[in-house]
Amino acid sequence: MIPKNGYTYAVSRLKAMANRLLDNNSIIRLWESETFSSAMKLLSETHYAQWLSEMKNENDFESLISSELNYVVSETRSISPDKRIPILFQLPFDFHNIKVLVKDKITRTGNQGRRIDLLTSLGNVSVEDLILAVESEDYRLLPFGLHAVLPESLSIWEQSHDVLMVEKRLDAALFELMKSIAESIEIEGVKKWVRAKIDAENIRNVLRLVRFGLEIGKISSFLHEGGFISKEKLLLLVNEPLEGWGRLVGFADAAMALSEITDFSDTEKSLTELEKSLDDYVTGVLGPYRYDAFAPENILAFLWAKDIEAKNLRIILVGKANDVDKDVIRGLLRNVL
Amino acid sequence: MEILGVMLAVLGAALAAGLAGSGSAIGVGIAGEAGAGIMTEDPGKFGLVLLLQALPGTQGIYGLLTAFFAILKVGLLGGEAIEVSVWQGLGVFFACLPIAIAGYYSGIAQGKTSAACIQLIAKRPEETGKAVILPAMVETYAVLALLMSIILLNSIKL
Repeated sequence: MIPKNGYTYAVSRLKAMANRLLDNNSIIRLWESETFSSAMKLLSETHYAQWLSEMKNENDFESLISSELNYVVSETRSISPDKRIPILFQLPFDFHNIKVLVKDKITRTGNQGRRIDLLTSLGNVSVEDLILAVESEDYRLLPFGLHAVLPESLSIWEQSHDVLMVEKRLDAALFELMKSIAESIEIEGVKKWVRAKIDAENIRNVLRLVRFGLEIGKISSFLHEGGFISKEKLLLLVNEPLEGWGRLVGFADAAMALSEITDFSDTEKSLTELEKSLDDYVTGVLGPYRYDAFAPENILAFLWAKDIEAKNLRIILVGKANDVDKDVIRGLLRNVL
Repeated sequence: MEILGVMLAVLGAALAAGLAGSGSAIGVGIAGEAGAGIMTEDPGKFGLVLLLQALPGTQGIYGLLTAFFAILKVGLLGGEAIEVSVWQGLGVFFACLPIAIAGYYSGIAQGKTSAACIQLIAKRPEETGKAVILPAMVETYAVLALLMSIILLNSIKL
């Protein structure tokens, strides 16, 4: 285990790199801009300007955001004394890529177009290696247990032809892996972050699956162990109207996220509000460590803040491109720190 | 017995210089690591970083000063040889302890505060004044320890 004072250089460097985070004023200016092009102009006045050459056309903000994220992740990875911290942050991107590739393989058998444009280079495993493994059906060299999970997911599809079952298996593998890595790192804030992520995913799953009308036994199989809220407590939510959820899990910090839902009558709106407040809840878990000049949690907090910033930028720019109402956009913006 | 008295005084001097110097070395090292992190992103902050990194270095100087006083007291730095009893030697040894102990711990503490303040100026360069004051507060206790060590050394009659 790396001693706490082993993170001084990395944390200090990241504090300096935190100047790369867009401050509230910049976000508000972007949000207030009248058109997509004026928002892009404002963005090009920030440090995102260095990635302008990566844009394939004037509307390609995704390349801008991805380039910045890739740079930040690779820099953080290079300076982090314990590489497992950035690995932990990147794992969801690996599993996202696997989901994309599995779905691509499934849909291709039906002679549909490829969907590999949705792959992200933010994962631990390079996109090329993943594609090669899937194309050649040779998964032996894939790390993090992916060599077993990937063929298993494909075989689940063969047997059930149910994408939900495939997603369930991949999510279970992701959270098991995140839990085991967090346990091995032995850093309090990192463990809390993983537990909060599990809580957020579980609450999201319960709300979505209740909407699908799934029965309690099936919903239970979609929930993950290891969060602050036990599976048993989460299953109590199934038969409870959304208004009462905050009361049932009031003992956990995640209840704060539920209390931020303003409109319970509109399921679509409440789901959107819940998504936002669950992200804020996960952000909040890492908040107290920002004031510790030597806390290794700052590494994870910075990566997570950058990821949230990217989410906010996508929300604003997609909103501007589609003339979405400003208030709707504002309601979706997450807290960065 | 005379040699034992002198040796006790020398042990005190060695601890004052050694422990306070170690505290400073650790403190300056911590602040230096933080400074290197900041300067990788912003080399222009070298002046401010150097100032904050140097602050925990003073404990080492205080320890050295006290060690000089101690060995001067027992006549090891030139002049006539002085007869030092065991009790007098023990007195010099104890007189050196305040700066030895406070120097060690305050050096490390000041290094940590300096590192935190180096991070502060990375984000808010306009707050440099405040960033210097915070680690300087830790210095107070090293100065008090130095003062006490010198008063105690002066109070020992040889």
